[in-house]
Amino acid sequence: MIIIALLLIPLLASAITAAMRNPRRMELVYLLSAVGSFAAAVWLAGEVLRSGPVAWGNGFLYADHLSALVALLTAFVYLVSAPYAIGYFRQEAKDHASGEIIDEKIPSSRLRLYYSLTPLFGFSMLLVTVANNLGVMWVAAEGTTLASIFLVTFYNRRNSLEAAWKYAILGGVGLSMALFGTVLVYYASYPILGGENVSNLNWSVLVDSAPRFDKTVMRLAFILALLGYGTKAGLAPMHTWKPDAYSEAPVPVVALMATAVLDCALYALARFYVLTARCLGPAFASQLLILFGLLTIGIAVPFILQQRSYRRLLAYSSIDHGGIMALSLGFGGVLGPLGMLLHMTFHSVTKPLLFFCAGNFQQHTGNDSLKKGAGGLLHTLPVSAPMFLLATLAVTGTPPFSMFQSEFTVLRAGFAAQHIGVVIVFVVLVVAIFCGFFYHASQLVFGAPNGLPRGEFSRWKTWPVIGLSLIVVLLGFWLPAPLYALVEGAARILEVHP
Amino acid sequence: MFFWQDPQFGNKMITLMAALVLVIQILMVSQRWLVTNIRAFGVQSLLLACIAWTIAYFNHAPHIYWVAALTLIFKAGLLPVVLERLVARIEIRQEIEPFVNVPLSVLVAGMLTLLAYVVSESFHRPNEPAGHGLGHNTLAVAIAVFLIGFFMMVNRRKALSQVLGLLCLENGLLLAAISLTYGMPLIVEVGIFFDVLVASLLLAILVYRIRETFDSMDVSRLSRLRG
Repeated sequence: MIIIALLLIPLLASAITAAMRNPRRMELVYLLSAVGSFAAAVWLAGEVLRSGPVAWGNGFLYADHLSALVALLTAFVYLVSAPYAIGYFRQEAKDHASGEIIDEKIPSSRLRLYYSLTPLFGFSMLLVTVANNLGVMWVAAEGTTLASIFLVTFYNRRNSLEAAWKYAILGGVGLSMALFGTVLVYYASYPILGGENVSNLNWSVLVDSAPRFDKTVMRLAFILALLGYGTKAGLAPMHTWKPDAYSEAPVPVVALMATAVLDCALYALARFYVLTARCLGPAFASQLLILFGLLTIGIAVPFILQQRSYRRLLAYSSIDHGGIMALSLGFGGVLGPLGMLLHMTFHSVTKPLLFFCAGNFQQHTGNDSLKKGAGGLLHTLPVSAPMFLLATLAVTGTPPFSMFQSEFTVLRAGFAAQHIGVVIVFVVLVVAIFCGFFYHASQLVFGAPNGLPRGEFSRWKTWPVIGLSLIVVLLGFWLPAPLYALVEGAARILEVHP
Repeated sequence: MFFWQDPQFGNKMITLMAALVLVIQILMVSQRWLVTNIRAFGVQSLLLACIAWTIAYFNHAPHIYWVAALTLIFKAGLLPVVLERLVARIEIRQEIEPFVNVPLSVLVAGMLTLLAYVVSESFHRPNEPAGHGLGHNTLAVAIAVFLIGFFMMVNRRKALSQVLGLLCLENGLLLAAISLTYGMPLIVEVGIFFDVLVASLLLAILVYRIRETFDSMDVSRLSRLRG
């Protein structure tokens, strides 16, 4: 029952805001839907922790620890981006009214587009996490792309059309490959499960009989699923849509795309990984994941080192973290999945903070350049600038922040799996990313005053930043026991022993 | 037994139509005119609907009739009309300018077909019970159409012809889905169709908006975002 509530709340909110005219009321419905979704996700996680997997409608919707964790993270990002979005768009509207930004105006119909499409976007992501049928999961993943195309074109600028075009074309091709992978899984399972029953494509049904599937077909199915959902997650070399989409879409949407969509795509990939590893033994899928993961982290390094725009810098950081998660899953064993899910959890808390601060910078200075007159933001933005520095330290994995712990778990998983060479390369790349990222962040925050007026715009934009910073600091010292139990339970689902 | 009740006859018809689907796909690679390409896509979708109908008829799989009907209405009927109107409305130059010239493109398409046959060979289950799964000819065609569609997308610089490549790629996917398993459970097929439809409409709108802003649909000019 709670699963239905989780899905219905954002869906209803989307329908309601689509029929509204008054921006203030749209804000209210949107905020309520975010709070409601998060409450439902917490409830679902509690239910799963208490009494094991929850199912609805003959197993059509199904939530185990893994689903509950990803749904919780998705709903969390949706929750924190809601108040921020309100402040963000109020400032856009005000800047337009005072004539500071002349290239684009924000009429209320455009706001309605945002306030109705974003809950739909959230709904599709939550459906990815609780859909048991691999086909429905694919439909939902396609839904996330469709719901967000017009959020990327929100500003209707030349660049945003270009970004949306890349996003749509790459997303379309990628997801068609994922669909081919899904079809092949069905074909591989057909001689064993037989019949034309809808529930035959249910993951919970497939997973038990996976060892008896056709091995050749499963091998091809995993490659296609890896390419397909890998495109959605932004694994190299299919990552090229990410920096464009992330630098053109409105910041609250980007926060969702950089964390929740990444989590959902990796979640779908992990489901295929379990099926393949059970069928073929973990070695085949692991090698591919390690290869793609390492390539992804490696490709992010040069772009982070010589980046000229901080929105794109954050996008490459998000690509890098997607690679780390894929790598950790590839290491396998007991620690690999644990490292991946811990990293996913901490990343989903830290990355929105970075994007919110960057959004505050951009709205204050009017551009997202790292060079042109940038610097000295510490003098003008007394909350966002120090928090940006804090989040930079957290996201690059500096102790004592939580992402250090998860990256350390990834390292241990690599040693346990005896991939010493891979681990050494990984450490070198992460250190290089830390140097590049920290250099750019300090350039931006410190330095001579830049002459802009001092002060934050509104509490809507500073409170999410302060709240998230507190959570980031807190998670470095204390991980709540129920959350850890959820992560551990989810990691156990992804454990496959040879 | 009459020939229209003989499953063997059905299989032969399907193989014949699948071969035609492949021929049309290669024709699209060699064709320079956008409108001809759109019409070829319509005919290909029509053949796909016929294949789905034949499978449904000879194997008594009623839910595949839905696939046939949806393909006929949307992919053979609605989409080609919408795309042609779009071409007429935005008055672009009607010629496709591929990156690789036509003879070489056809050669590449031939190589991809060969690759598809090699891949589908490993799927062959010789001792499979009769009446389940088509000959691997159909699967090979499906994979070939998928790959050639992918090649068309990479090879073309105009936005609309890229969309056409994507649609072809999805035709190959659909052929694979129905020929491998006689259709996945219906709910998935319906989901697929709605997504394909919405995706193509979105792309068409996007194409139109690109046209408005850029005065050209040349995707190779979409290159301001780098690094």
